[in-house]
Amino acid sequence: MTITIQMLATIPAFHRLQPVTLEALQKYVCVLSYEAGETIYRQGDAPTGLYALQKGRVKLYRRSGEKTQIIAIVPAQECFGAESLPNETPSPCTAEALTPVTTIYISPEALRQLLLEHPDLLVTLLEIVSGRLRQLAILVHDLAFRDVGARLARVLLANAETDGEITSEGFRIRRNLTQQEIASLVGTAREVVYRTYKKFERQGVLRLTRTHIYILDPQKLAEIASQETR
Amino acid sequence: MLTAQVTLEMLQRLSVFHDIPQENLTHLASAMVRRTYAAGEIIFIEGEPSIGVWFIAEGRVRIIKHSLSGRVQTLCLANAGRCFGSCPLFNNDTNPASAQALDNVTLLVLPHHELNNLIHTDSHLAAALLKIYSQRFAHLARLSEGLGTWTVANRINDCLITYADWEAVPPVVLLTHERLAALAGTVREVVTRHLSQLEKKGSIRQEPGRIILLDTDALHGHCPPE
Repeated sequence: MTITIQMLATIPAFHRLQPVTLEALQKYVCVLSYEAGETIYRQGDAPTGLYALQKGRVKLYRRSGEKTQIIAIVPAQECFGAESLPNETPSPCTAEALTPVTTIYISPEALRQLLLEHPDLLVTLLEIVSGRLRQLAILVHDLAFRDVGARLARVLLANAETDGEITSEGFRIRRNLTQQEIASLVGTAREVVYRTYKKFERQGVLRLTRTHIYILDPQKLAEIASQETR
Repeated sequence: MLTAQVTLEMLQRLSVFHDIPQENLTHLASAMVRRTYAAGEIIFIEGEPSIGVWFIAEGRVRIIKHSLSGRVQTLCLANAGRCFGSCPLFNNDTNPASAQALDNVTLLVLPHHELNNLIHTDSHLAAALLKIYSQRFAHLARLSEGLGTWTVANRINDCLITYADWEAVPPVVLLTHERLAALAGTVREVVTRHLSQLEKKGSIRQEPGRIILLDTDALHGHCPPE
């Protein structure tokens, strides 16, 4: 697949790039594909280039012994990578494909050169990283002040907002994360996620099927999500 | 709060600006204002629109989140030479956290509208900010990992190592138990208990307002590797 300038211009993060910068970018970009579960880069690796996700979803996480903490789930059309390129330090997180992924990629060598020649790309990277920093500040807040129930409720509500379908039974979301992945996102163990789901079911907030979660009482779920117990 | 002029010399002392040519710095200085805050004073509050990017000329600032019940989680402790508060400027948004002066601080502020002009014309400034953002990303990613997966003891040890003054011999941490608790994501009582256990083992010694690190290997030993 060839990437045209028009395709690059539709990536939201690149909206404000000058035509001349898009033209330069186009010479260096390539398309990469990954299978679900494949590692894109690892925490501790040399600085990576920039990825603009075309299709699929990617999780960014940190590993600590046997446990992992997901720090972001990147949806299609968003950028990730190059987190440590400005300081030439090891990569602070691992990126792994959650689904089959197609992504536009700019290598670190090309990116270094492009940043020198096209300062508007610097501002674009600033915008990308500052968006991630904002997300991380929210994650830290939730981990520090909210219990597992509230954190799980927030994940479900966020999913409902982006991928929810309205049905006669209420909002329906596809279970596109495993319980282990939900646990790594919420900062707890898989068993705790399972117990919390069961509790929500008993309270009449959710109904779980093998493939979907029905939010029966969104108001109650929002109430749980807003609680700060610490 | 005093507002005053910023000189070239003030900017030259800050490590973030070391790669910026003098000509650009002179221009930058003329666009900035200087403000001072007393220890404990709030500089800005979460949810408010940001006024600009803040550089620390002197003292320490903590960037904090508050829970509804008033508990504090520190996102980072910024020393002289660091900057903070600029995130909202790139997303047209409000401050994602609050900032509080930890000591008497002198801050150099680059207002929003000046930054918006300079960021497009001064690539050195954009590159300097990007370096800071990239460091902060790594820091917050590690903090999230700590809160999500480490024990409280590991987090307290990690804070002692992260926030020690390593130029002092032996290294010393100038933080109260309460401030450490806010950094480590716990409450003061837990910090106090953990520190007295460390003291009994001879890993640290406590004096009023300071914690002296005697066996840093033992503290490292309890922390997951970087």
